[in-house]
Amino acid sequence: MNFFALMFEELKAIVTDKAIAITLFGGVIFYSVLYPLPYLNEVPTRQQIVVVDGDHSSLSRLVIRHAQASPKLEVVAQLNDLTQAQAAVNSGQAHGYLVIPDGFRRDLLRQRGVTLAYGGDANYFLVYSAILEGLVSVGIDAGKYIQFQGLLARGEAAKQVQFELDPIHLNSVPAFNPSLGYTSYVVPGVLLLVLHQTLLIGTGILGAGQWQRQGYWRSVGLGQLLSARVATFGLIYSLFTAYYIGYCHYWYQVGVQGNLGQVCLFLLPFLLATSLAGIAFSSLFVRRDLPTQVLLLISMPILFVSGFVWPVELIPAPLQAVSQLIPGVVTIKGMLQLNQMGADWQSVAPLWWQLWGLVLFYLLLAYLGLRLRLATIKSPH
Amino acid sequence: MGQLITRELRRLWQSPWQLALVSYLPLLGTLALWWLFSAGLPRALPVAVVDQDQSQLSRMLVRQLSANSVISPVSYQDIGQAQAAMERAEAYAMVVLPFKLNQDLMIGHQPNIDIRYNAQFLLVGKLLSSQLQLSLADGLKQKARLKLLASGVPPVQAEINLNLIKTQSSALYNANNNYVAFLVPPILIALVQIVAMLVFANALTEELRRETLAEWFSLGTYRVLLSKVLVYTPLLMLQLGLVYAWLYGYLGLPMLGGLGQLLLAQLVMLLAVWLIVLTIFALLQDSARVISFCTALFAPSFAFMGVTFPTHEMPLLAQWWRQIMPSSHYVDTHIGVIAYGQETQALVSQLSSYWGFLLLLPLIALMLAKMRREQTGEQLGQAQITEGQG
Repeated sequence: MNFFALMFEELKAIVTDKAIAITLFGGVIFYSVLYPLPYLNEVPTRQQIVVVDGDHSSLSRLVIRHAQASPKLEVVAQLNDLTQAQAAVNSGQAHGYLVIPDGFRRDLLRQRGVTLAYGGDANYFLVYSAILEGLVSVGIDAGKYIQFQGLLARGEAAKQVQFELDPIHLNSVPAFNPSLGYTSYVVPGVLLLVLHQTLLIGTGILGAGQWQRQGYWRSVGLGQLLSARVATFGLIYSLFTAYYIGYCHYWYQVGVQGNLGQVCLFLLPFLLATSLAGIAFSSLFVRRDLPTQVLLLISMPILFVSGFVWPVELIPAPLQAVSQLIPGVVTIKGMLQLNQMGADWQSVAPLWWQLWGLVLFYLLLAYLGLRLRLATIKSPH
Repeated sequence: MGQLITRELRRLWQSPWQLALVSYLPLLGTLALWWLFSAGLPRALPVAVVDQDQSQLSRMLVRQLSANSVISPVSYQDIGQAQAAMERAEAYAMVVLPFKLNQDLMIGHQPNIDIRYNAQFLLVGKLLSSQLQLSLADGLKQKARLKLLASGVPPVQAEINLNLIKTQSSALYNANNNYVAFLVPPILIALVQIVAMLVFANALTEELRRETLAEWFSLGTYRVLLSKVLVYTPLLMLQLGLVYAWLYGYLGLPMLGGLGQLLLAQLVMLLAVWLIVLTIFALLQDSARVISFCTALFAPSFAFMGVTFPTHEMPLLAQWWRQIMPSSHYVDTHIGVIAYGQETQALVSQLSSYWGFLLLLPLIALMLAKMRREQTGEQLGQAQITEGQG
């Protein structure tokens, strides 16, 4: 059998196996819609808060108007005391509160300090941070407004007042993902994880189903079978990867900084290492329903260990060490740097060589696994 | 019924994978995921600092940054190097203290301190942005206080001028913004749901592997299914129980409500999972395909819980999809009980939100009847063949 005929056999085996087809073609398309779906609105805006106005003065009303004007907040009710405000958060009517104390305006005008109280539901960090950011800026603005009025009243020049209120300008700007969008944050990493997991599952099911049966895989050399399988899966996954890294990134408006040649070059050892890891992994199974189960169980740990949700510095060293052997983890790190953060090739080169190291490592394991599985020929039924 | 349960338990005992799924695998997963997040609070995150001023003021500001537990300043000579460190994710933010910072401040120009933070790593980036601004503003306040005192303002008044409006913010239900309390419980709930799905799918597909599907009709289909439910429901509830014992007992995470409500909610969640898996099994009747399909359905359940990204911000389609996941219903009860100490009325409305899963019952009944017809048809066919041969 020549090499292309063998690749064709492989392709036929993949496409005609419904379990593999569901995972590969169904899964890849399905996930490209489903995973980004919750995040399409990108940024939490207009979080509902309740206000307790203990002052009922022109100034406290100004603060409430500012809060209502903030894109991050929406004032849904004004209540009488803190207990009611807490109850409103408890019942889910609002996610945060603002308390303006009695004597707010009077104390400010007399240059005495006042305290604004904020609260937010910290069960949901994104909601909490939106509410806090909104309320803090409202508080700062109110303070500035009062000081501005006070200093002007003392006869200072407006420009001088500006400087006294703001002697140094802190200019805090996001460096990557400038819109602070949730899709740009989650999608690049998750899509690579989906490619990684489905490729491992596909190779896993194919192998597990073959070891105990007769077929074309027994009539060719080990090396030939191995290279044909890597080539076939590599070919299919080049298309999937192009769809994910190309079209999906464009469709979900994920910022892309890398250049095409470098991205393709970086993904080459990823596809090779993952295909080989999948073949090595498949030699552990003879039941076609097991590879999916094992990979499903470890998919969440793989996602979290890759360092874009939870910083690598905080992950225990042993877990990090083990994760260095997972092609997906290395690729997510490298691709985020190369494609999302615009790092140059020198910066990601160590990760790229690490992937080539994994290619060799899994090549050896895949070869040994295949040899072991195909040596035990069962009598055909 | 006793015989059927024995039949189920014997199969569980004879299947090493299934046994692992109901015993040590979820525990390992629980420990691994908790360990991953066990730091709890982000601390000592590397921040590139480029100090072009090298004045007393700029050094004071760097000291201010080191004093913040979240920030660990790393000095870089020039902006290019700091930028490269950002791109390699070796620094999560950079602060540029410009040349003549001190001088400009003294002579009344408005200098500009640039902060760049990595928003690709959204969680870390946002945290650092706010912490950096807080620390720097605090440092600059010291400077402003000196200035006020020098111009003859009494210390008490200077203090008030600087902090005219104080703010007091309370993080309700998670006082120190601990990520273990925020992320780990929902992640583990998602994990247990996945294990539950796998366990029940395996219990059903075992019938295919042993070719015993035909036995169902002599033993009574619903009784066989009930025996599976009776065996696996307590086992999975035990798993969830261990997760809770670990988090809220041993680790002592704060919890307000009682466990009674949770037990009931767990029971209903598991029953919903069983219904979904049974529907898919009756549809496909092939072990690898059942697992693949269930995986596609349950794998993204964590994203749809609405813990990381709030439910009320999701598009409508996502909110509908969320209803299909039993874990999304359960997590509402979980947060209600653990954080709010909710009343029983809330539980009633949460449990009634599962009503949609009841629609699967007639569907399952239909498909089981169809399966039965096929099976008996096959048996008849086989009988005719043997007669023909005889």
